[in-house]
Amino acid sequence: MVPPVLVKKGHKMSDTFDVVVIGAGPGGYVAAIRAAQLGLKTACIEKRETLGGTCLNVGCMPSKALLHASHLYDEANHDFEKFGLSVKGLDYDIEKVLATKDETVKGLTGGIEFLFKKNKVEWIKGAGKFTGKDTIEVALNEGGSRTITAKNTIIATGSDVANLPGVEIDEKTIVSSTGALELNPVPKSMVVIGGGVIGLELGSVWRRFGSEVTVVEFMDQVLPGMDMEVRKNFGRMLKKQGMTLKLSSKVTAVEKTGKGAKVTFEPVKGGDATTLEVDVVLVSIGRRPYTDGLGLETIGVEMDERSRIKIGHDFSTNVPGVYAIGDVVEGPMLAHKAEDEGVAAAENIAGLTGYVNHDVIPGVVYTYPEVASVGKTEEELKEAGVAYNAGKFPFTANSRAKANLATDGFVKILADKETDRVLGVHIIGADAGNMIAQAATAMEFGASAEDIALTCHAHPTETEAMKEAALAVHKRTIHM
Amino acid sequence: MKTINCKVLVLGAGPGGYVAAIRAGQLGLDTVIVDGQAPGGTCLNVGCIPSKALIHAADEFEKSMHFTGENVLGISVRAPSIDLSKTIEWKDSIVKRLNSGVAGLLKKNKAQLVKGWGKMVDGKTCLVATDEGDVTIKAENVILATGSVPVEIPSLPFGGNIISSTEALSLDGVPEKLVVIGGGYIGLELGTAYAKMGAKVTVVEAAERILPQYDADLSKPIMASLKDLGIEVLLNTKAKAANEDGTALTVETTDGDKTLEASKILVTVGRRAKTEGFGLEELDLTMNGRVVAINDKCETSMTGVYAIGDLTGEPMLAHRAMAQGEMVAEIISGMNRTFDKVSIPAVCFTDPEIVTAGLSPEEAEAAGYETKIGVFPFAANGRAMTMEAETGFVRIVARKDNHLVLGIQAVGKGVAELSAAFSLALEMGACLEDVAGTIHAHPTQSEGFQEAALKALGHALHI
Repeated sequence: MVPPVLVKKGHKMSDTFDVVVIGAGPGGYVAAIRAAQLGLKTACIEKRETLGGTCLNVGCMPSKALLHASHLYDEANHDFEKFGLSVKGLDYDIEKVLATKDETVKGLTGGIEFLFKKNKVEWIKGAGKFTGKDTIEVALNEGGSRTITAKNTIIATGSDVANLPGVEIDEKTIVSSTGALELNPVPKSMVVIGGGVIGLELGSVWRRFGSEVTVVEFMDQVLPGMDMEVRKNFGRMLKKQGMTLKLSSKVTAVEKTGKGAKVTFEPVKGGDATTLEVDVVLVSIGRRPYTDGLGLETIGVEMDERSRIKIGHDFSTNVPGVYAIGDVVEGPMLAHKAEDEGVAAAENIAGLTGYVNHDVIPGVVYTYPEVASVGKTEEELKEAGVAYNAGKFPFTANSRAKANLATDGFVKILADKETDRVLGVHIIGADAGNMIAQAATAMEFGASAEDIALTCHAHPTETEAMKEAALAVHKRTIHM
Repeated sequence: MKTINCKVLVLGAGPGGYVAAIRAGQLGLDTVIVDGQAPGGTCLNVGCIPSKALIHAADEFEKSMHFTGENVLGISVRAPSIDLSKTIEWKDSIVKRLNSGVAGLLKKNKAQLVKGWGKMVDGKTCLVATDEGDVTIKAENVILATGSVPVEIPSLPFGGNIISSTEALSLDGVPEKLVVIGGGYIGLELGTAYAKMGAKVTVVEAAERILPQYDADLSKPIMASLKDLGIEVLLNTKAKAANEDGTALTVETTDGDKTLEASKILVTVGRRAKTEGFGLEELDLTMNGRVVAINDKCETSMTGVYAIGDLTGEPMLAHRAMAQGEMVAEIISGMNRTFDKVSIPAVCFTDPEIVTAGLSPEEAEAAGYETKIGVFPFAANGRAMTMEAETGFVRIVARKDNHLVLGIQAVGKGVAELSAAFSLALEMGACLEDVAGTIHAHPTQSEGFQEAALKALGHALHI
């Protein structure tokens, strides 16, 4: 069925596309660019006034800008005198910090717009809704609606902040990650509910700018899901930096007061409750797949028990021609996972064989030091009954880290006991985020720890710790 | 006279030597290592490590200077000052900790450290002058790891204000005017550090561009950054002579002679293998020009005598020496090993940094390959944008026919830490598709690597 062309405002445009991507986050915009590169007529539906989704607008990128500025401030505050540097009147201007962050975001989102033009992807500004399995009605931002025909659709609508029942986020006093990127003035005190990646990154930002930060985490350590040794060590580092951690604690009430909010929490196992009155409360207990208003039920897209879209290996849903990628499907909610899925889905639509190896998806926490990991944790290996050797090397024994005053952390490599194949790599370190690329490459090649050990690593770099950790798997480190 | 008998003698406790001794000790070989200075060699004492410490301090100082004026980050400070003697003290404390660290590692692995300058008497005997008198060491196997020394310009002998990199790492104050002779990586690393600390720096380079060992695309961003730092670079210019007290240097430019005022004149025109002073002549080894000739097992022309590191020539890099040292210890212990690295990465710690691994486009072409090249600029990398690190790029060189990656180069802030990913990809025989198909964490600079591979394949996503 070919629907009538309905353009209530603007020019009459062709309304049949080979590929329509819903959502212009990292997964969606990359899928759209790749599809267009492959010669497919492509449109991308996005209702936000800028492209880039959560990641570029209110996620990874603005938080990195704040982390960069606050880190430099923190460094000047604490490290300078160690090497003979002194400054007076160290201060920051939060207006400017936030303005620069906004500039960075603008540059990035504008960049995607440019890429769309370059690759001839049509951006349809509005919210899309399936009215049939190959028809989508877009409620246009400028008013009116437009119905388009999509031979193939890629759902890339991402995720939204998960709410704490009974707690209303006003983005001023009780904020989500979005509001936590805009705090002005800097809160004197802050409770972060949830000690995962987002809570610790944003908690770090405001701690560095002088806020007294308390993190309340339900699990027994921060960063649930990561390697336990990493979690324990990293928790200690955060405490040393002045963050207060309330672990194994659950929040029972959040109440707005005149000038801030009261947060009440108690030990998970039971016990006395504590109430803290703070300026700002950040709710960062996770994210949920976002498929509201998409009309998935209309076309009968199958969902799983966690409200995620069910997909096959090629990212196809149960509805022919409808694909889904990124945070709305299974797997870690990470931009780079969504990007690579977007590429693969576009390639599959074009008749190529696109696939993603979900066993090798690195994850990075951009605190200081950074935390990065790829592959299995020790706990996962134990649970799966896989015999492994662990090799660990601390940055205290790495000379570049010493020269950079960046000796916190370690590299840990987990390798199969029998075959020596690398199964997981976990890093806490100043530049862990860049270092994890090597580990991911190694795992994609099915490298053994010995392969890493035999690779010449440049001296003096922090990557030498990777080589030494590989040697440590065989209990033969040189520098320890 | 005291005599020590051992299975392995290592002459020189630099990165090559001490790693060889530690590995030999691990393998249960009775090992003695000889050096006249604190263990760690040039690298730890007067090279890579102290220079990186100084570079780090200079970077931080530059940042703080940046914060005195309008800056996008909104951080402000007044009157930053650097007390170089304190910086040097801090640097010395790092060096000392590393020295004792190496000594501890040797001990832990049961390699005996003999402090004193050793002289080979023959291929199995070394005479060491120690504080407690002469010691004779008789060894079944000898590993020569004597390293290298700075090259001196005959008309500008070291002394007084004319200094080598060694003295440049221990100045008692920031020189007002620093003239650096030689625009190679050592001169530019130190020149950049001192310029950031406030010195007026002039670089004198005889060739037509700086960093002649790198291709022009890699050196261009460095040239721009030197300019931004206010460093004057005189190309096609030769240093001739200094005045008596070393406060002025005459140089020969294309427009005739010129005199440069200088508080210090730093000569960094290269390093040469240290071939004298340890009895090399007694061994009469086959030489390869000015360096000791070795095969792919680091064997010299004399059975039982091995040579590693800078003594064996280019590339004079600590990690090459370490890899060789590790290998030779294993060979002596009976393992079958050869030195067959596809990649020995090299890092230039200027600002931005340069990393090279494998073949450059020219080298690949010279080796007879038809190539596909992908370049991805950090200006299009999100993480770089958030870190004020948009200068530079990642470049990947691959075979046109089968897409095998031949070389990877990068210029940019902090790219040194990408070098391991580059090297590993080369060692594993990666094709462009392999690099492109590996998920790289977002947002990191390492995404530039993946994008460069995509670019070479003709479908970059972010440019």
